Amino acid sequence: MHPVQLFHWHFMAYPYLPDDFDERFDTGWVTVPNRLWDRERTDGLYQEYIDQLAEAAGLGFDGLVLNEHHQNIYGLMPSPNIIASALTQRTERAKLVVLGNLLPLHLNPLRVAEEYAMIDSISGGRLIAGFAVGGGPEAYNYNIPSPQSRQRFWEAVDLILRTWTEDGPFEHEGPSYPLRYVNIWPKPRQTPHPKVWIPGSLSAETMDHVARRGFDYFLSSRTHGAATRQARERFADILERHGDAYHPFRMGVLLSVYVAETDEQAKEEAEEGVWYFLKYCLKGHLRRTGRTLTFGPGVPSQSVRSWRAFLENSTPGAPMLGDADDWEELESKASIVVGSPATVREKLWALIEQAEVGNLLIQFHFGNMEDSLARKSARLFAEQVAPDLRARSAELFARKYPALADRPAASAAE
Amino acid sequence: MSAREVALPRGRKVQIAEAGDGPAAVYLHGIADIHGASFGWLPFHEALAERLALIAPAHPGCAASSEDEALETVDDLVFHYLELFDALGLETLRLAGSCIGGWIAAEIAVRHPERIERLALVGPTGLFVPRAPIADVFWETHPADGVSFAALRGLLFGDAGSETARAMFPDLRGDIDQEVLRYQLFRFASRIGFNPPYLHSRRLAERLGRYRAPALVVQGADDRLGPRRHGEVYAEGFADARLEIVDGAGHSAFAERPGAVAALVADFLAGP
Repeated sequence: MHPVQLFHWHFMAYPYLPDDFDERFDTGWVTVPNRLWDRERTDGLYQEYIDQLAEAAGLGFDGLVLNEHHQNIYGLMPSPNIIASALTQRTERAKLVVLGNLLPLHLNPLRVAEEYAMIDSISGGRLIAGFAVGGGPEAYNYNIPSPQSRQRFWEAVDLILRTWTEDGPFEHEGPSYPLRYVNIWPKPRQTPHPKVWIPGSLSAETMDHVARRGFDYFLSSRTHGAATRQARERFADILERHGDAYHPFRMGVLLSVYVAETDEQAKEEAEEGVWYFLKYCLKGHLRRTGRTLTFGPGVPSQSVRSWRAFLENSTPGAPMLGDADDWEELESKASIVVGSPATVREKLWALIEQAEVGNLLIQFHFGNMEDSLARKSARLFAEQVAPDLRARSAELFARKYPALADRPAASAAE
Repeated sequence: MSAREVALPRGRKVQIAEAGDGPAAVYLHGIADIHGASFGWLPFHEALAERLALIAPAHPGCAASSEDEALETVDDLVFHYLELFDALGLETLRLAGSCIGGWIAAEIAVRHPERIERLALVGPTGLFVPRAPIADVFWETHPADGVSFAALRGLLFGDAGSETARAMFPDLRGDIDQEVLRYQLFRFASRIGFNPPYLHSRRLAERLGRYRAPALVVQGADDRLGPRRHGEVYAEGFADARLEIVDGAGHSAFAERPGAVAALVADFLAGP
């Protein structure tokens, strides 16, 4: 059987911003002053977040997800590899998903190939290797020229895969990373190599690169069922063009979830953390108020053709996730799922059924959410939401994708 | 104005606007400029064309010029323009440039001083001056609150609220073709000017003395993109240069005070 794979994603937000943060600062990214970091209150903060992840592994989540961010309050992992490495010592079966290392920000892709190979070796072959270009703010953090970054990114990806699958030493001729002796020690534990996930936000260009290389696609926008389905259909078409076929485990999607005993309790408990996340963590990223560096002429990473298409299909100043003004508006966007186990089950099932996506990457911790609440939510999810989603999805996927029967089961929960 | 395409090696095409009679002068555009934020000539260029045979190519990837994925540094661009001058049959020429176009013109002049008879720079970027960095125009191309480009206009113009500034960089979203034109400009500019931050090459200043023919540097008195010191370093660095400060203008002095700046530049470029 091949049930939906459920991953626990932690962003590791900075939780101690002052109450008047929104009035005083126009962004939570790049230039948000680091004097706001409270040295004393943050003692034990990383440990708290690592504990939440380790506990999730014990609850039967199929994997744990980490990602790379710099100079912001949204995610305190400039090097997710360091956290992944810690998790190798706290978990036994869960996949460790680093989604991903931002390749254009690394001077030499060999370093990424080496660190990922180490994590894979230490964990006994549990790494899922994510590679990402990095969003707009990251371009400013490291002064990466956007027009070149995609080309460099794919050269780096291909070089890393070569280091994992070909015997060294070999020469890589470049153009961006010319190297005379490529010969990494160690190679990864998994053969031929760890699974590769590439995030994207619907661009056909990225999907095409992913399909051509046989990788899996991860939709990084918190979208609802219809948009996820649209992404799946587009990706399935592109896979087909490359002589490949879609199945639910070729794609993942990011979700934000909070579960409590009842709908009312869930809203009451989640609200503070969710608003902190939307108004503070997303300020400068997915919020119009202030200055959003996520995309725009100042980070011209999209081709001119893609930019024109974006302009033609979007509304200037259209509200984004962080612009929601009240809970009802937030609910209507369906980007954050909050409720009782029954409510969350039905909403996620509707997504799975509509989108036929097999990897759900779920954010359980929001902004400044208390440790006890984040843990309770993940526990309720594992005990009262996951079993039903697994049973129903296994049946659905087996019926719609009979070819899956030939694949080995991958679930850590089984 | 007439427009045409010039073919260069490796399949590249350069869009060129031409007007006027007189000595041939090539004009390399900047941001609030033809091929950057305007499809056609500005009053400044029209005034120049009364005295010069003005040739204004669009940088690679701008307007209808083809994008060059191999373009990574300003050195690549110098070769691009040498190839263009060759294609146009210009063994020697008068060269002008504004903003990033001024930077590129200076880079060409220090490498091939023998080909440039006179050099005019208006609000040129391109220099590294310790403790006086060029401002971050890329940052300001992200509208505040999703709609306002006041800060971008503030960097590019002395008066952010002027009609000229608002026509080139309106709040909200403008006409899609114009938005794409500007996107192309910033895409081009960030190829050569995002790293190091911003829009300069570190060692240009020490090479300026190689250019010994006459040079003119014009800077708006209220330039907030390039500090005044940049104009001074240019003027001090060239062997034979003078600096003119234009009142009532910021970084895009040629667009803000077209009559005054065109008179300075045309007088200079049309000289012996």
